[in-house]
Amino acid sequence: MVSAEEVARIIEAYPADRRFALAAMQDMQNEFNYVPEEGLEMLAEHLGCPIAQLFAMATFYKALSLTPKGKHIIKICNGTACHIRGAMNLVTGVKRELNIEPGETTEDGLFSVEIVNCVGSCALAPVMLVDGIYHNKLRVEQVPGIIDSYRAKDGEQHD
Amino acid sequence: MSELVKEQIKVLIDGKECYCEKGEYLYDVAKRNDIFIPVLCRSDAFEDHRACCRVCIVEVETRGKSKVVTSCVYPIEEECTVYTQSEKIKEERAVVMALLAHRAPDSDVIGGMAEGMGGTEGFARLTPLEAGKCILCGLCVQACDSLGTGAISTVLRGTEKRVDTPYSNPSKACIGCLSCANVCPTGEIVFEENEKTRTIWKREFELVYCEECGALMGTKEMLERAAAETGVETPKVCDACRKKAMADEMMHTYRFV
Repeated sequence: MVSAEEVARIIEAYPADRRFALAAMQDMQNEFNYVPEEGLEMLAEHLGCPIAQLFAMATFYKALSLTPKGKHIIKICNGTACHIRGAMNLVTGVKRELNIEPGETTEDGLFSVEIVNCVGSCALAPVMLVDGIYHNKLRVEQVPGIIDSYRAKDGEQHD
Repeated sequence: MSELVKEQIKVLIDGKECYCEKGEYLYDVAKRNDIFIPVLCRSDAFEDHRACCRVCIVEVETRGKSKVVTSCVYPIEEECTVYTQSEKIKEERAVVMALLAHRAPDSDVIGGMAEGMGGTEGFARLTPLEAGKCILCGLCVQACDSLGTGAISTVLRGTEKRVDTPYSNPSKACIGCLSCANVCPTGEIVFEENEKTRTIWKREFELVYCEECGALMGTKEMLERAAAETGVETPKVCDACRKKAMADEMMHTYRFV
C-alpha cells in the first residue's frame, strides 16, 4: 500500500502553488502506478485547493489513473494504419492471453492493456508497446510469446 | 463631457436605439432595454459567463459585415446593429435547441424551449442520450467554487463527462447550501428535504430552525461556515428576528431622546 511518507516526499518537492498539481500527480502515477485517494487529499491540503479540482484533473487526463495499473503496460496502437493492418486482432489476442479488456488490469497486477491512438510509427503497423518497447509488424501468433517473455523476466527476478 | 461618464455607444437592437458603455456585454444591454434573448447557462450571479449553451446567439452587423455571436460574452466595442430574431438566428437557434433537447431529453425547460423554437423535427436520426437533464454548462461547479466550497467538479471527459463529487462519495467539503441546485438552469441537481434533514450529493445535513420564530435558517454546516468566515458566533435566530431584537434594543436605548 501507499505510505503517507512517500506521498509527502513527492508532494513537498513542489511549492504550494496550484500550477504544480499536475506535475505532482504525474510523479505519484510514476511512483505508485496510480494516483491514490490519500495522495489527492494530501495534495489538496498542500496546495490549498479543493480536492474536487484535483479529482477533475485526475479523471480528465488518460495518463493518470485512479486505480492501480499493472507492472507492465501494454499499449496497442489503433491509429488508422494499425487499425487497417488488424490492430483489433491484437487486442483480441491479448485478451485471449490475459483475459482482460482494454483499460483493465490483470488480477496478479502484472499487466494493463490500453488502446492508444497512433504512436507515430505507422510504417511499422501494427504496433504494440510493452513498457515503451516497440513490437512492430506484429502478428497475433507472436502475442503470447511476447507476454510470456515479460512473465519469464519477472520470474527470474523473483528467483 | 465629464471624465466620470464614459463615452456612450449607440447600438440598434431589433430596431430599438440603445446606449451602452464600451465593453459592456450585448446580452446585458439588451436585457436593460427589455429585449428578450433566450439563455440557459447564463446567471446574473457571476461576472464571467460560461457561454456554452449557445442559445443566446444573435446576429451583429458592424460596418456592413454581419456575424453570429454569443451575446452573453460579446463585449460591444463600436456602434453596431443587432438582430435577435433574424431568419438566420432563428434557424441556428432551433438547431442548437434541438441538439440540447437530444442531449438532455428529460428536461422540460429545454423541451419547451426547443418546441417553441421550431421543434426537433429533422433530427430523428439522433438518439437522445440517457443523460437526464444536464447540459454540462458547469454553472453548479462555478457556484460551488465561487463560494469557496469546491465540493463538486466535472469528472471524466468527452462523452462520459459529468458533474460529481470526488469518487462519487459524499463530499466533506459540501455544506448543503443548495447553490448548485438553485443555479442549475434545467433542474438536474436534485435534493431531498424533510423536517429534520436535507440530502444532497448523497450527504445528509441537519436542518437548523430559528429559535425565535421557527423559520428555516439552513443547514448546520452552512451556518457554521458563514460564522467562521465572518468571525461571529453561530447565529441561533434568523435574520428577521435578529433585526427585530436589535430594533427593540435601539428603541429602549433612545426611548427618551
